[in-house]
Parts: sequence; C-alpha cells; structure tokens
Amino acid sequence: MTAKDPSTGKVWYRGKREYFEVGLDIQGRMRYGAWQIKEILDLSLPPRLSRPERFLFTLPPDTREVEVGVTLYYCLKDHQCIPVRQTVKRLRYPRL
Amino acid sequence: MRKTLARGAVVVCFFWLIFPLRAPAKKLIFPEDKLIDNFDEFVQTFSSRRCQACHPRVYHQWEQSYHARSLVDSIKRMASFFAVGIPKEWQKPLNKKEMLKCFDCHLPQIRYATDRLALEIVGMLIEAQKARESGDKVRFRKAYSRLSRLNITCYACHNIVVYRASPGLFGKPDPQTIYTSNPKKVKAPHATAFAPTLKTAAFCAWCHGIYVASDGEKTMCNTLSQSYYHGYIALGGRKTCQECHMYPPGRGHRFPGAHDLDMLREGLGLDAEIRGFRYGVEEWVPAVDVEVTLINRAGHRIPDG
Repeated sequence: MTAKDPSTGKVWYRGKREYFEVGLDIQGRMRYGAWQIKEILDLSLPPRLSRPERFLFTLPPDTREVEVGVTLYYCLKDHQCIPVRQTVKRLRYPRL
Repeated sequence: MRKTLARGAVVVCFFWLIFPLRAPAKKLIFPEDKLIDNFDEFVQTFSSRRCQACHPRVYHQWEQSYHARSLVDSIKRMASFFAVGIPKEWQKPLNKKEMLKCFDCHLPQIRYATDRLALEIVGMLIEAQKARESGDKVRFRKAYSRLSRLNITCYACHNIVVYRASPGLFGKPDPQTIYTSNPKKVKAPHATAFAPTLKTAAFCAWCHGIYVASDGEKTMCNTLSQSYYHGYIALGGRKTCQECHMYPPGRGHRFPGAHDLDMLREGLGLDAEIRGFRYGVEEWVPAVDVEVTLINRAGHRIPDG
C-alpha cells in the first residue's frame, strides 16, 4: 500500500502485509531445509476465507492531493514478485 | 498401356497422400526388475519423448510444466540435502534409501537406476550448485543441461506412482502397463489400464504434501496439501486439484500454478476501500483510511502448492 504525491511521486506513506509460512525444526528454530522442517508457523492466507487489513495514516498538513495504490503481489522468490491485482484512487483535500 | 500406368501411379500417389506409409508403432517395453547403470540409457528408457509421437498435444503441455523441470528447478534445495543434510547433519551414508527422500517425488524412475547411477545424478546436482555459487557459468551449464534431461516423465505418473494413493487396494502397478484416467479400452502400442486414482486429489497429495519416507522421516517441502484437506475441504470446498490445475481449457498436463498469472488472479481477490478524511480537532490534518480485504479462492493456503 503506497500513498504518494501524484505530481512529484514523493511517497508519503508505505505499508506492507506479508503472508508466508515459517518452517521450524524440532527445537522450534526457523529452518529452510525441507529435511529440517518438522513444524510450521502458518502465516499464509487460509483457503475459502477473506482477510481484512487496515492502513490508517495522516499526511502532511498542506497536502492537497494524494494517490493511494494497493497492490497485491505474489513473490515466487525474494526478488521475483508478480503484481496480481491493483487498485488506485486519487484523493483531494481542498483548502479549508 | 501408358495411360493405365499413369492412372495406376495417380491412384498410388492418392493413397500415399491419404494414408502415409507408417511403420507400425513400436511396442513400448519398460524394464521390470533390471536396474540401469548408464545415464543415457536411463534417460531414454523413461523419456516422455517416447510418448510424444502418439500424444503430441499432451507432450507439448507437459514440456511447459514444472514436472518437466522437477530436477533443475530444485537444484539448490536437493544439492543442500545431499551435500549437507544427509552427510553432515544426519551423519548418514548417502545411499538410495536416503536419496529417495528427494527423488521419490522429483525423479520417481530412480528406483530403476543402480546405486552408482543414482550417486552420479546426485553428483551432478552438487556440481551444478557449486558452479552456480562460484559463478562458473560454463560448468553450471554443462551440469544443468544433463540434469534437464531428468524429470517427472509420463511413465512416472502413469505407472510408477499411479497407485501410491492406495497401494493396499491396488497393489503394485504392472511395469508394462500405462495407466490412464480413461475407463474406455483403447488400442495402443502398450497395455493400458484404467486407474481411478489419477482423478483424485490423493494422487497429487502424495508429493504435494508432507512426504513420509519408508523409514518414517517426514520431509516438508513448501508444498503442503494439508491446507487442502483441513482448510479447503473442511470449510466446504469440493474441487479436486485436477479441477483447477488441469481440466480448464489450456491447462491440461501443463498444471499451471503460482508461476501463471491467470491462476494467481483466479485464486486471489483484492477489494480495497480507500477514503480520505481530515483527522484531529481544529487542526484538521489530511488522513487516509484504507480497508483492504484479501480473498483466497484457491483450494489451499497461499502461498502453497
């Protein structure tokens, strides 16, 4: 989730939520090797359920316009993330 | 006379064009209890190319699947298990029983390889990973190109692992029979048999879940079908793996998953309500409230596989 100034591109706020699993060995330590993993902490999105997330933030007092974008990525590897869905909305704050 | 010969030639050409001369399909023979020691012979014996002539469309789909890259796509993890996991952490000898903890799913035909050949393949995986880490592209490409000839072939699913979901009921598959999900009798250069297991989620779950080796060791790759059974099915989901990953048009033996944008869009929904307002008392600061709802429509948790 990113809120930025539409004219300069300056980012005012950035928020992120991640969903993944943590593999744990028999002593509760995080592991990567499939042969080491005996338990998991399931931090993924469960099937057939929806998950609400909230991002609530303020902007600099003189902000007149902001572009808020929400993008859902699926990351195959650390640096290989595919944008799956996106919603963008421009908000205006007229001078009081 | 000349006219008759010409007519005859035209008739022969006509039939030649309509019914091209084809050698009768060669009978497919697979090894029974014989172990193969030669790499090329091993590759050729189980190669999906043997099925390509009669099943070109399915072959082309399979070629694009991750089943066709089952070894080269997991070099790092398998090399790590063979170089560190077994010898250093478990302090066990690297034998076929231990290798099967990876290969039973990634290369099921390994059961028909000698211990020496199995070790040769493990050596290639370790060599590929070492070359990758050291940035030696030539060495890496050499190992990679050999490893890319090894994969989950047609014979693996349509014979070797076909009854894994219920070995007690079905017993051992006959090595000379190709098992299909088609209950009709068909004429083929190999024996065919109907295997109802091929249409079930249990068939896929053997590998796409917690793998239990013959010695009871559990191997948890990041493919946990448990969320399918305890999350999706338990909450009323009723589709099988095949119904999403195989049956829709354009999928088939390609078995698309998370690497396919259409699959991701099908499985993941996003609803975002974005509202601007002014926050505070008297000093009205611009603020934003973003309410996001993520919907997992897949038959398993995400990320998963």
